[in-house]
Amino acid sequence: MNNAIRLGAITALLCSCTLLGTAEGDLRLKEPVLITSAGQSADVSMAELLCKKAGVKATVLPMARESDLKEVKTLIIVAGFSSKGLGAAGVSREEEMERVQGMISGAGKNKIPILMMHIGGMARRGGQSDDFNKAAAEAADCMIVVKQGDEDQLFSNIAAQRKVPLHLVDKMSGAVVPLKELFPKEEEKK
Amino acid sequence: MPRLQAHTVRALALLVGASVVSTVAGVEFAQMWEADRVLPGDGVVRIGRLSEYHPGLRNTRYDAMVYYLEGERPGGTALVLGGTHPNETAGFMAALVLVERSVVASGRVVVIPQACNSGFTCTDPLEAYPQSFPVATASGVRTFRYGARAANWVDQWPDPLVFMQYPSNQQLSGFETRNLNRAYPGRPDGTLTEQAAFAIMQLIRREEVDVAIDLHEAAPEFPNVNAIVTHEKGRDLAAQAVLALEFEDLQYSLELSPDNFRGLSHREWGDRTEAIPFLMETSNPIQGRLRGKTSAELLVTGSDSLYARAVRSGVMRVTYDVGGEPLKRRVGRHLAGILALLEAYSATYGERPIMLANVPSYEEMITAGLGAFLR
Repeated sequence: MNNAIRLGAITALLCSCTLLGTAEGDLRLKEPVLITSAGQSADVSMAELLCKKAGVKATVLPMARESDLKEVKTLIIVAGFSSKGLGAAGVSREEEMERVQGMISGAGKNKIPILMMHIGGMARRGGQSDDFNKAAAEAADCMIVVKQGDEDQLFSNIAAQRKVPLHLVDKMSGAVVPLKELFPKEEEKK
Repeated sequence: MPRLQAHTVRALALLVGASVVSTVAGVEFAQMWEADRVLPGDGVVRIGRLSEYHPGLRNTRYDAMVYYLEGERPGGTALVLGGTHPNETAGFMAALVLVERSVVASGRVVVIPQACNSGFTCTDPLEAYPQSFPVATASGVRTFRYGARAANWVDQWPDPLVFMQYPSNQQLSGFETRNLNRAYPGRPDGTLTEQAAFAIMQLIRREEVDVAIDLHEAAPEFPNVNAIVTHEKGRDLAAQAVLALEFEDLQYSLELSPDNFRGLSHREWGDRTEAIPFLMETSNPIQGRLRGKTSAELLVTGSDSLYARAVRSGVMRVTYDVGGEPLKRRVGRHLAGILALLEAYSATYGERPIMLANVPSYEEMITAGLGAFLR
């Protein structure tokens, strides 16, 4: 019995250390990566280009469904609303939110970590965007945010409350650095 | 001589007064029929007209001037349209800088500075818009017309109650029947606006245009200002351009052309020709609903205390710098955007490069002003 308690305590301690380590920014993400949108802004294309520059291979499906998560090891959700984007996708705001919630719940069920990227600055904040921003941020295991989009500390506060790492970058191109850190190459891992 | 009754005298006085006001207003209005002076630079190898692509436009005010710039080295072909909406001045001015200043190093650039030529002959009613604005250049102060959003009613009348876009049959406000950027792909036997759109489509096909750029502006409260809108086939190039522009501290958002909103350049050019289309927007306070005094000064300085107040209040999202959105900045953004898109295209399609030279950088435009780059 005592051994069982000791084993349980050690396991709990190890788990909490892992989580603390994660919260301090040691999160390591793996490929294959699926990039999807929350709000249908074309920032998914920017995220794809940034991933390419960081050497991260990713598939882009702005309208991805839960069934697209098979084999996926990391889900990147690019948050930000675009009325043109919704028009291009042919969906309503409500349908888009439902799809995003489905992806978040699918990732949770399959234990796929979510990286949220908000790279559109102020143009992707406010009225129409913030529901999508919050939904993605509140489900994320890690965030990369362009500082201009966090002037009111929306993302900083969510990251602090949820104890998840937040990488604030000055410019969109700055996202390449945290992407490289989050997706270390095999030789770098050794 | 019979004595006139008092009411007859009043009526005659009113008639005379109305005639004087109408004559003065008419003379002023007719001044807008005079074309803006364009002084083509060394890069222009040929000047043509839109009617070369559709003779139906000949002898109409829709027959816009077309300028052809060609480099010594072969390459692809770009089309740049300004003045699709003649009240979006930065588009016209950026295209004019290309015509008067730039030189093509590789490939060809076709420029139509006043694509909706008819719309430059009037202003939108009830908006108190100025008819023209001054730009100080080395050759003296030049004035350019500030037009309406769409073509002149005098050239295409009347507007239907509901405009049925051809061929989608999408229903829009009757006013949009004169809007060039709702008229694509156009048709040879349609309204004059549809014929102008048809001629531009023909130009894109006949000149084998690879990249087509449509320059616009919008009110600061419009959600898609400081943006590049593109067809799905231009998505990667636009993303590259947005990232390159960020290195120059110019922030753009990338927007995709909706498939279900028909008649727009970025949709129809992309669907119906080989060209990769882009549309760029800058923030122009004179077009906004919050603006205060409406004048040529506002058009040029882009400075409006009510927009500054709106920004400070934080109540609504407006794309407005409290120091103003001057014309030189808006033109500089368009030119930087054109260069970034052409660079992205040339890097991707190395066998058909399109390289422009003598185009002022954004910094140069801000430092020296628009007039420094016009002849």
